[in-house]
Amino acid sequence: MSAQSQILLEAQNVSRVYGSETILDNVSLKVCSGEVTTIVGPSGSGKTTLLALLALLLEPSSGKILVAERDTAALSDRERSQLRNEFYGFIFQSAQLVGALTVLDNVLLPALLAGKAREKRKAARELLDRLGLGARADFLPHQLSLGQKRRVALARALLLRPAVVLADEPTNDLDPRRASQVADFLLQLPKEGYALVLVTHDRQLAARAGNRWEIHEGKLTPPIGGSDSSFEPHVERIRQTANNGKP
Amino acid sequence: MLRLIANSLLRRRWQSIATVLGVALGAGLLLAVFLLYRGFDQGLERGRQRLGADLLVVPSNATVDPDKALFAGSPLSVYMDSKFANEARKIPGVRNVEAQFFTQSLHLECCSIGVETRLIGIEAQVTGRLAKMSPEGRDKLEDDEVIVGSELFAGIGKSGALVELLGGIFRVAFRLEATGTALDYSILMPMESARNLAASSEALKAVWQEAGDPHRLISALLVEVTDPSRIQEVGRSLEGLGPLKVIRAADTFQRFKRLMDAFVFVLAAAGLLTALGGVAYLLGHFSSVAWDRKGEWALYRALGASKPRMVQLVVGESTALALGGATLGLPLGYALYRIAFARLASQNAFPFVAPGGALLLGAATGALLFYGVIGFLSAAGPALRVAQLEPALTMAQGDID
Repeated sequence: MSAQSQILLEAQNVSRVYGSETILDNVSLKVCSGEVTTIVGPSGSGKTTLLALLALLLEPSSGKILVAERDTAALSDRERSQLRNEFYGFIFQSAQLVGALTVLDNVLLPALLAGKAREKRKAARELLDRLGLGARADFLPHQLSLGQKRRVALARALLLRPAVVLADEPTNDLDPRRASQVADFLLQLPKEGYALVLVTHDRQLAARAGNRWEIHEGKLTPPIGGSDSSFEPHVERIRQTANNGKP
Repeated sequence: MLRLIANSLLRRRWQSIATVLGVALGAGLLLAVFLLYRGFDQGLERGRQRLGADLLVVPSNATVDPDKALFAGSPLSVYMDSKFANEARKIPGVRNVEAQFFTQSLHLECCSIGVETRLIGIEAQVTGRLAKMSPEGRDKLEDDEVIVGSELFAGIGKSGALVELLGGIFRVAFRLEATGTALDYSILMPMESARNLAASSEALKAVWQEAGDPHRLISALLVEVTDPSRIQEVGRSLEGLGPLKVIRAADTFQRFKRLMDAFVFVLAAAGLLTALGGVAYLLGHFSSVAWDRKGEWALYRALGASKPRMVQLVVGESTALALGGATLGLPLGYALYRIAFARLASQNAFPFVAPGGALLLGAATGALLFYGVIGFLSAAGPALRVAQLEPALTMAQGDID
């Protein structure tokens, strides 16, 4: 955490249990403005559940999620919804575009839900231009490529200038060139003041992003050293832990 | 939110059109059934009010359909001696007797209206029935005055207007209210005037050669008794006067009313089933929509739509579709009603009073409200289920386009 950044989002000893299965176990994490937080781990390790908890899409079985130092447990549905609308920008694993809406209306969706579509129309077009999709504003999602859809989802996430951008496997299914373009865009966001939480198993993306947290079987391990070169040994350490110390 | 609803409906064009058409057909049918029901109901009541007599007496050789004679106002081109009117008045228990004289159909030289027009001579000045029919409560009809049916002389048949009938000039005393029967196409005039016209008609000469001088003939007697319990007794006395047939209005009315009640029941049941069908259709449709689009709804939740906002979205879509369908259905229903009305009017089979503008407006507003409410209610359950969707669902689903 740099001197000028502030804690926007915090998980304090958060656990999530489904029946008898513990998906997340006593996880703590701080997300700061202007920084990227990368969470890596194998499939089924609890990455997406952690992201859903941070995004107030799920409630923890125990522990606290704090948004701007405020405990979210006591928030009403309306307050949580408003936070999801204004405080967070979401990039889901798949683009999650609404097929019945045009590209522009998909980008405007958070504003439409908040009743601010008219005032955000210009911003939506600017975002589409910035992402190279200005000419496709009136297209329907089925007329776009996978990479284009992902960029539309990026534009939607940024429309209301959220404090925190949550990205779940944003380069999933993209070819290396498209994945690199999306990564370039995403990794610019902290420089613009956004807090970026990146969940990925894309090693290249994780290596570029830095500040990598490892998650394995619901347990979150903080970054060691913060150097990109620590990625492989760190993963290896987790693997060894899972295999009772055997390499 | 309105834009989101409008966008969603417009982008799912075919699905929206199918739903709107489904609702439109239901709303149209409901409106048509309701208007027909009210038309029959009012027609029956109007027929009962118009009757004003307990017994109808006609020559025994007349082929009479009592229902048509009494309620559909069909004139009888049969004749008997006018002496029976005076003899009937002397029977104990008789309060009033009105004779009527029907001619054959007339061809209106000056104002052809393209339908069969009947001319009826009445004793209005004697019985006071005229006062019941007249909006001004008149009790006497002058020799040169006529009462015109509601469907005749459209635009020119106002009170005081002059009309030409078979070479004679007559003044319109007033226009009758619509009855939905042959009376709407009839002209009523003093009996002597009707007899004079009939006697001078070349076309009817053969009739008078057989039946006798029209000035001594009548077609029917409407008899009112002093006490309803004496109807049977008076009826028997009337039949004893000569070769006469007596039709008891009460019996006929009861039979006719049963028939009409059955008809109205069928219409009401059809209307109810149509309404229930509309509810079931919309309920099924929106339950299906709630399920099919749960990925989209979950995304809305994830992007910040609160539970009340989700309910508004789902209910808003359904209400918009229901109201749109009902609005489209209103002219369809009215057209259907007009077609049915035209067919019924051409048959004169049932008394039918066309509903007025206020009732039409009320029925249209009612249909809109009804479908607005069922659109709202049918989506309420699915909307509440949608509002309960876990927004985290969106994390686990694939593309929703």
